[in-house]
Amino acid sequence: MGLDIRIPLGLIFLSIGGIMTVYGAFTYGDAALYERSLGVNLNLVWGCIMLVFGAIMFYVGKRQKWQDDPVTPRPWEHDPNAKPRH
Amino acid sequence: MNLTYIDWLIMLVYFAFVLGIGFALKRYMRTSNDFFLAGRSIPAWVCGLAFISANLGAQEVMGMGASGAKYGIVTSHFYWIGAIPAMCFLAIFMMPFYYGSKARSVPEYLRMRFDEKTRAVNAFSFAFMTVVSSGISMYAMALLIQTLGLFKGILPDAYIFHVSIIVSAVIVLGYIFLGGLTSAIYNEVLQFFLIVAGFAPLVWIGLRNVGGWQGIKQTLPASMTHSWRGMEHANTNPLGVEWIGLTMGLGFVLSFGYWCTNFLVVQRAMAAPSEEAARRVPLIAAIPKMFLPILVILPGLIAVSVTSHVAGTPAAAGTSTTLPLDAAHPHGIVPIKTDPITGANVVDSSGQLVYDYNLTVPALLLHYFPTGILGLGLTALLASFMSGMAGNVTAFNTVWTYDIYQAYIHKKGTDEHYLWMGRMATVGGVLLSIGAAYAVTSFNNIMDALQLVFAVINAPLFATFLLGMFWKRTTGHAAFTGLVTGTLGAVLHHGLTLPLGDAAGIHGGWIHVVYQYPSEMAQNFWTAIFAFAINLVVTIVISLVTQPRPEPELVGLVYSLTPKPVETHLEWYQKPSTLAIAVLLVAAALNVIFR
Repeated sequence: MGLDIRIPLGLIFLSIGGIMTVYGAFTYGDAALYERSLGVNLNLVWGCIMLVFGAIMFYVGKRQKWQDDPVTPRPWEHDPNAKPRH
Repeated sequence: MNLTYIDWLIMLVYFAFVLGIGFALKRYMRTSNDFFLAGRSIPAWVCGLAFISANLGAQEVMGMGASGAKYGIVTSHFYWIGAIPAMCFLAIFMMPFYYGSKARSVPEYLRMRFDEKTRAVNAFSFAFMTVVSSGISMYAMALLIQTLGLFKGILPDAYIFHVSIIVSAVIVLGYIFLGGLTSAIYNEVLQFFLIVAGFAPLVWIGLRNVGGWQGIKQTLPASMTHSWRGMEHANTNPLGVEWIGLTMGLGFVLSFGYWCTNFLVVQRAMAAPSEEAARRVPLIAAIPKMFLPILVILPGLIAVSVTSHVAGTPAAAGTSTTLPLDAAHPHGIVPIKTDPITGANVVDSSGQLVYDYNLTVPALLLHYFPTGILGLGLTALLASFMSGMAGNVTAFNTVWTYDIYQAYIHKKGTDEHYLWMGRMATVGGVLLSIGAAYAVTSFNNIMDALQLVFAVINAPLFATFLLGMFWKRTTGHAAFTGLVTGTLGAVLHHGLTLPLGDAAGIHGGWIHVVYQYPSEMAQNFWTAIFAFAINLVVTIVISLVTQPRPEPELVGLVYSLTPKPVETHLEWYQKPSTLAIAVLLVAAALNVIFR
């Protein structure tokens, strides 16, 4: 398919990770909020990890993007190695 | 439960992406091939993740967490024995026939190998099963949303259950209607990563809290932290199954019947661009699958290891105090079961409080996650429900269109017509699921209910495929008769046996109680073993007295008559068999480590 899954995957992690990081930064030092997570600011820490993952996925997806055109043949449609097995 | 705007925002982002993918893919849906088989164009790793994600539905996440809390690490047998070997077998031996035969679905392979009637039995029973499974997912999701009080204060209580069902149905319908199998696969990949992202921090914080794996081992009884201890006899291990029932019932019949013949998962592998890629799909899937117990079973163990300490409201519905740990059956923060309508605590026949193990995972999320990441945790949970439903709906629309509609109702339609039918089948499938969701009420443990459906429909099936693919003498009449008698055998076995402690009825023994199994799981496993054996014997006997098909017709469909896949262009480490051996060795090592 013309859409590389890594692009939406990267974007959703960037969005959710972004929301969590910003929220985590705003609530930095809020001991009452993070009492449940044993004092770890999970929003900030995990949000950052998600941001990094999302950025890598998005970058790789962009770089290896296929022809995003439903009319021209897709890469697998004229692959010289793809012949039937029998 | 108090959700803030941040939690809602995260959930909204997820739903926007889910539907967005459907819209983005809509323009690529030009033919029925695009819609039902994703144009056979999805990279193997994407198919592989969708392969496990389609199975990583709510039954898995909530059920495995529940079993983890109830039985302990022994639950991981559902992965290490109950999935990995079967996935390797599918990749190495069976995929060449599914993919190479150009069949568009598993029932269609049965038509090519045997005959029309064998296909019909499989197609109809499978279509029924997908609708029921999807309905169970929907029901469980709505029940969870209601129990957690997600919409409390936003909607009147009486509507929450119905609104949850309608909303989840509309979203799943939306993205499959637009983007077909591709949309389902893409969303399953998204869901897979979200489930990992939502559960990994839960396990991390949980383990920190209970002192790591060593801490769990010290807190819990040894039977819960060892997967093979006491397996010699059903009475000495928490599952109530002895090792023969476990390895034969779960490890062979049920798991091979499920992973190797269930079109729900096989369809994901069939979307790969080449046979070689398709064979790699289940193997790629097996790698994360082996380690999923860390994300779905370990939370159950953490939940029962937690005693009263850190602040915060521990449980979901109604419980505000943590009760002391009981040595034999620790319940930690597993909430007491409450009636969702009245809110009163449920008690069993002897007046004891009942613990709602299905709520283990949500209770743990609420226990550890502050607002913000709580939205992510709930998103992961909702994602798992969605992937369970979507997998079934895509399998249903394909089997309906190709194996029921095209085969029996409208044979010579244009491709456009079948594409239209596929979309209509998606609508129909979702509507039937809603019906099933309302019909499903009598089962308490989702896992047991599904195991029963699998036992009756799936268990005899693997014998048919095994003989069909590896014995060229097998005939269509034999396969059909074997399949039907195997299924009837499963029903009969269920009607004649009963798990200890259950009343005759839905749990078995509705004909006459001939034998009592130590547990419902043992009964399920043995139902499967009997169904498989009956099918195997009947198929062999009838094959020997009926006329086999001429050999040239079976090329590409039977092992001995099909040229082996060419692997000369692959380096040794690229070969599927190398990967399969590596996967099996790691799975064996995990069994040894947690024995």
